Amino acid sequence: MLLSPSRLRGLGSRVPPCSSFRPFTAAAAAAASPTSKPQVYLSRSRNPYLNLSVEHHLLQTTPPDSTVLFLYTNRPCVVIGRNQNPWLEVNLPLLSSLTARTKPGDHEPAPTTIDLVRRRSGGGTVFHDPGNVNYSVICPPESFDRDKHAEMVVRALRGLGVPGARVNARHDIVVDVDVDVDVSESDGNHGANTFKISGSAYKLTRLRSLHHGTCLLSSPNLGSIGPLLRSPAEPFIKARGVESVRSPVRNVGVGNGEFEDAVVAEFAKMYGDPDVFCEVGDEAGAVDGVEKGMKELLSRDWIYGQTPLFSFSTYPTEDDPRERPSLPSDFHLSFEARHGQLSKFTFVNASSAGHVDIPSSSSSSPLDGSRIYDVEDWTDALRSYGGTVNSQAETAGRWLNGLFGTGHAKTQLR
Amino acid sequence: MASIARCVRAARPSVLSTISKPIAATSRPVFYRPTQRCFSATPISEVRKYTKDHEWIDLHADNKTAVIGISEYAAEALGDVVYVELPEEGATVAQGDSIGAVESVKSASDINAPVSLRIVQSNVELEEKPAKINRVPEDDAAGGGWLARVEVDEQGLKEFEGLLDLEAYKEFTATLHE
Repeated sequence: MLLSPSRLRGLGSRVPPCSSFRPFTAAAAAAASPTSKPQVYLSRSRNPYLNLSVEHHLLQTTPPDSTVLFLYTNRPCVVIGRNQNPWLEVNLPLLSSLTARTKPGDHEPAPTTIDLVRRRSGGGTVFHDPGNVNYSVICPPESFDRDKHAEMVVRALRGLGVPGARVNARHDIVVDVDVDVDVSESDGNHGANTFKISGSAYKLTRLRSLHHGTCLLSSPNLGSIGPLLRSPAEPFIKARGVESVRSPVRNVGVGNGEFEDAVVAEFAKMYGDPDVFCEVGDEAGAVDGVEKGMKELLSRDWIYGQTPLFSFSTYPTEDDPRERPSLPSDFHLSFEARHGQLSKFTFVNASSAGHVDIPSSSSSSPLDGSRIYDVEDWTDALRSYGGTVNSQAETAGRWLNGLFGTGHAKTQLR
Repeated sequence: MASIARCVRAARPSVLSTISKPIAATSRPVFYRPTQRCFSATPISEVRKYTKDHEWIDLHADNKTAVIGISEYAAEALGDVVYVELPEEGATVAQGDSIGAVESVKSASDINAPVSLRIVQSNVELEEKPAKINRVPEDDAAGGGWLARVEVDEQGLKEFEGLLDLEAYKEFTATLHE
């Protein structure tokens, strides 16, 4: 039997919200039975660290042959991919100074800061806020397909009157809109007529496959996303790992509840009526696996320390010959960082750099071994460097603060 | 690794033909030890074995050191690898545990230990050149796409015996195409 969206909404409200342990014990019980039916979880928490940890817990603990749908919405946050570089992907100084709107049409910025989150799946950087609903489908590897569940969401959107929605070659969902149509909501990309509304990412383990995606429904922050995801350090960084692909984005203009109902209904069409259907709240953070996952996601060693090797240089190098923007003063500064830990740090007067071999690799710098995310103020850090370049520590330090930000510690406080 | 390979419906028929070729990487030396008897009657040093999760392991003649990597089948199914998270040197793990990951097509895929082992040395070249995993995933020589040099103990040796030889692995991957 197919459940209509309204019927499902009814079901959702009839079933009392799961207590913290119910969803997972329910899953454990289902694991014991030979046939595992589909499961649906709706999160009522807006905490991105909690939601991603509940999702990871479901990935690890649901029956190997079950198919699970998890829907969640986060408070404003920037979410980078597993193998990305936050200093390259995100304007961290802006991130720590900015507040986001939480409601559509909310013109006074609510006192909400923006979290920085590194997820466990691959792919690029996205922005979440309460106008963006995330869907996640966990299934056996045998039935995994990169487009299958994006297509499911497309069917849901079409049913809600978004006929232009389709899955593109990058496994994202885009809408084609008439250029004459109002594009004031778009990210300043007037003239473009294909807009991304949903980005996909995947986590594949031995026993389970996870596909999750965003869906921009009514974000009041689209204008802020662009600047937030442009790092001032970009011209100086050569990174390994994964770089994001920029796309103009747009809201679908559908309510969160409507969208959730429609996605659940499409999921039920594919896999049958859910055997487990429950709501998850903040109390899920008390579940062992979830608590452990949150601790990891909140740690600075994960958010910053998981960054792949990268190099930073204020002047063109063999490895990265790009011309550099002009600097506030006459210095050469370069380093490498593996897992966010500095090595080969050099800071010299540009005038002397021409004569001396720049990397004085034999004499190790006082900053080597420090973690970028432990440096709270670069002017102090550079002063400890000493030498003739000391007179430039203040200028260079303030400049670096403007590239990397000084708010690294804040994320830990949440 | 099971996940990707098994499920990305490998639309490319070339996978099988690649696999059915003799393994290209034969540059590793063959150890002749005429005065010593091997543990088993057949010298396992010359046999590469595979897991159903698409990892391979080459056990050396000393029955202690080995090299591991991912199979050509897996490399093909993954698509373009853009980053390799290397195993942590010194780590001791049980068979099937995740020891690293690769990213391709927005997917972070776990790489699992083919047997219980200790990581001796990771192939750091993959950090700079992840595409090697696509080009020469089964090459265990310098410049190859091998993942790590490892040590195995008695438990690991026992598990090694239970893995698939090339023939059996080929048969296994052939069933994944239906």
